[in-house]
Amino acid sequence: MKVALAQICPKLGDIRKNFHMHIDCIQKAKRKKADLLIFPELSLSGYTLKDMVEEVALQPRTDPLFKQFKTLSRNISFIVGFVEEKEKGLFLNSAAFFSQGKILHIHRKVFLPTYGMFEELKFFGQGKNFTSFPTPFGKAGMMICYDFLHFGSSYLLFVGGSELIIVISAAPGRGFADDDSYASSRMWELMGEAISRFSQTFVIYCNRVGYEDGKSFAGGSFIYNPGGQLIAKSLYVDEDFLVKKIDLEDIRRFRKKRPYRRDEKPEVICEALKRIIENYED
Amino acid sequence: MKINPSFAEKLLTRFIKEEFSKLNFKKGIFGLSGGLDSSVCALLAAKALGPKYIIGLIMPYRDSFSRDVKDAEDFACYLGISFRIIDISPMVDPYFAKYPTNNRILRGNKMARERMSILYDVSARERALVLGTSNKTELLLGYGTIHGDIACAINPMGDLYKTQIRQLARYMKIPDKILRKKPTAGLWAGQTDEGELGLTYTKIDRILYQLVDLKKTKKEVISSGFQKRDVEKIITLIKGSEFKRKMPPIPKISDRTVGHDFLFPFDWDR
Repeated sequence: MKVALAQICPKLGDIRKNFHMHIDCIQKAKRKKADLLIFPELSLSGYTLKDMVEEVALQPRTDPLFKQFKTLSRNISFIVGFVEEKEKGLFLNSAAFFSQGKILHIHRKVFLPTYGMFEELKFFGQGKNFTSFPTPFGKAGMMICYDFLHFGSSYLLFVGGSELIIVISAAPGRGFADDDSYASSRMWELMGEAISRFSQTFVIYCNRVGYEDGKSFAGGSFIYNPGGQLIAKSLYVDEDFLVKKIDLEDIRRFRKKRPYRRDEKPEVICEALKRIIENYED
Repeated sequence: MKINPSFAEKLLTRFIKEEFSKLNFKKGIFGLSGGLDSSVCALLAAKALGPKYIIGLIMPYRDSFSRDVKDAEDFACYLGISFRIIDISPMVDPYFAKYPTNNRILRGNKMARERMSILYDVSARERALVLGTSNKTELLLGYGTIHGDIACAINPMGDLYKTQIRQLARYMKIPDKILRKKPTAGLWAGQTDEGELGLTYTKIDRILYQLVDLKKTKKEVISSGFQKRDVEKIITLIKGSEFKRKMPPIPKISDRTVGHDFLFPFDWDR
């Protein structure tokens, strides 16, 4: 299958403009014969929304733009990041997987960074689950940005049977590296390498670029194969449109060699977690 | 503290380019002093926007700092940016003739605000955006005049310490005579930043980096080899200048108040 990563710079708060940017990317991906196109976190709205959250929120079931997305997804699958009004007055940072003319799954960001420069919990409600769901390419699971830095999330998708772990992100860069990139990009790559290698899934990470209120989104989207090898990498900091052919048979190959999934013991982990939680102080 | 200067240059020129496009401005303007920071700013802006869209304002007081004026002119010519010399003494002198003072800080602050006032006026006439030239060291120490040299629309170099600006300047091949100058706020003749602060920038930046970037405690910074007196002085300066880095507080009365819970991004509708 062919995967496309749209490392774009959405315009903050301008749904209409961003929608057209999405349409352009979808058409481009179709021309390049991609099967799955991935957009970054909050790709339809931009990231630093603050009180604009409620102005840009969409209801997937009834929204006319989503209706158009569904139609477009008849012959290509894609993932879009958006603000979801899940119920009246409840706003979530969400990712929708469009395929075969419908929405296959919506993931709601569980871990909302609220420290240092981040203040998501102030403006968003929290998701509650990490689901592996069937797609035309096998089972997949989605995460949004900070979800991925909590390795328990990847574990849940691994145990749930995901063969593709897809992370959409709006990660600002910090710190200098030796090459022309941010030091913080290493953090994402390290996680990508570790999770892909030990869950033997494809890890596909799509970050955005551009500045919002001085924060610079770092780009550097990537794909790791189920052996922990980096097989595709977008530019750092600059806009990019990456298309990469991946071989889903790799999953079988690596899992035959080292049966991590076969030998996994979710029951033991679950029981041990329960005991830890029961013994929490306070 | 070591930066990757090529990446820093890329990030800052991209930032300038993107902000100008968001704000729908073509021209940039800033005060050009002949010192290091404004020279680096000029070079970054020229690279980002093209030299013909850059205006450097050279704003001397009487004939003090005539060497700096010459250096600023030379550098503007070298970059191919346009520049204008506006002497601020006809504006400043009548005020101090009426309200005399020998307090150098008062006089210096008034001059810094006069320059700001001219900068904003020319920026409006020219439809140009005011670029700030403050660095992270100055911002953290509050070593600048509020509503004076701190005032700007965007501040490209505000996250680089003075010594990091020097690294960037060397990489960007800023002329040696500018690189070698003793940093000065130019408030009065003979003033140097390091003389006034009583510490070298190398020392200040190392202490700031540990306190701010690495979040080390005062005790940890002192035990890493700095004098208690120096570390305490820097902490006092940081704490005492928070007002220069913030909007002034508003007493909350209503349900939704500017600065409290009326929260929109700077890039709102841009």
